[in-house]
Amino acid sequence: MGYSNPKIPEGVNISSEHPLKEFLILAVGLMVAAVFAVFILSVFAQFFALKIPFKTELDLIRTYQETLVSEKMVSENIGRGENLLKIEAYLQGLADSLAGVQNLPEGMLVQVNYIDDDTVNAFATLGGQIMIHRGLLEQLPHENSLVMVLAHEIAHIRFRDPIVSLGRGITIALSLAVILNATDTGMFDSLLGQAGLLTAMSFSREQESRADQAALDALSQYYGHIGGSEELFDIFAMQREVLSPPSFLSTHPLTQERIDEARAYASDHELKENVEFRPLPDWLQNSLYP
Amino acid sequence: MFDLAIFIVLLVLGYGFGTYAEKRHYKSIFEREAFLRKKVLTFAERFPPPAQIAPEVLLVAGNVVISIDYFKQVVAGLRSLVGGRITSFESLLDRARREAILRMKEDAYAAGAQSIFNVKIETSSISRGKRDQIGSVEVLAYGTAVISR
Repeated sequence: MGYSNPKIPEGVNISSEHPLKEFLILAVGLMVAAVFAVFILSVFAQFFALKIPFKTELDLIRTYQETLVSEKMVSENIGRGENLLKIEAYLQGLADSLAGVQNLPEGMLVQVNYIDDDTVNAFATLGGQIMIHRGLLEQLPHENSLVMVLAHEIAHIRFRDPIVSLGRGITIALSLAVILNATDTGMFDSLLGQAGLLTAMSFSREQESRADQAALDALSQYYGHIGGSEELFDIFAMQREVLSPPSFLSTHPLTQERIDEARAYASDHELKENVEFRPLPDWLQNSLYP
Repeated sequence: MFDLAIFIVLLVLGYGFGTYAEKRHYKSIFEREAFLRKKVLTFAERFPPPAQIAPEVLLVAGNVVISIDYFKQVVAGLRSLVGGRITSFESLLDRARREAILRMKEDAYAAGAQSIFNVKIETSSISRGKRDQIGSVEVLAYGTAVISR
């Protein structure tokens, strides 16, 4: 019988391109495209976030504020409240006089919340809320560095950095979610999703530097010199050594850069020669170091 | 960071094992195809030619399920964003199709057949869950084996 099945040439149905080459081209290309898209989106987000009225920020944090108030009532009930409220009122008083120095726009209010735990941190968030932890307060050597902290956070609020960061964070998270849904790969989802969250509520280096500058302005207007700023940066530097987060995750400029900026500021401006530090009030020192 | 490490480990494992399995499979396919090429002939025609009226016929079938590796899945996922040929799936389907035909031929060879008529191939993907975690393909080849005594 004259029938036969010929040998079919190889490589007709499969591509000869190396799979790693394809992977690299796709991964690098898409990464570049994603970074570019996120950059463009965050520029837009920052632009539009500034158009959100401050009143809307206050509406956003209303429920959060209610829980904060009820927490305070709880600590009042267990007998520690009086002292906390006294410290908070003191901090609020400082913040109010700084707000006058820093020319907060009409309708923008600053509210200081004192949080009774060991975290060495202070931050500004939506609706003009400033949180100061006891841990940081304990480390501050005098009123001057406390004013530097408050002035820095008030500057964030004046420049509306919290809402800009939130707008940018949400935009990035949403756009990543859209891209990730399209790829169908579960792993990518959690991976890039975390990267999105990480950026959600941190300020950029530019925002931090700008807040530092404004805080130095306020400090020099308040005391006539900028003594106390370096001490504060040193505290954060020490904290950083203890916690040692990977440097690429850190958005605050390096301590040395901040100290250099402060020194440059001092040489550019006419400041008082003799630097006098104002101590923290006695009752506050007594309650912090019993 | 931990997630990234898991991802890279999975990717490397997927690439390593996937490439090794594919090479080994192709080697086996070439050997068995060469062995069976002259022994069992396959035809798409529904009936044997009139001169070869068979004394005996038999339904023969070969079935295979091949799973995708993690690396191929990631490449295909990236590819699905920009479009184009999913080359990482091409070799997978090529292997599945040839393996199914080989199994069918081996089935016929064991029964003493010299040719298979009316050969058909069917493909279905083993459908994946909601989050599309496993991608595998099933290929079924079947036909009528003709046994002349």
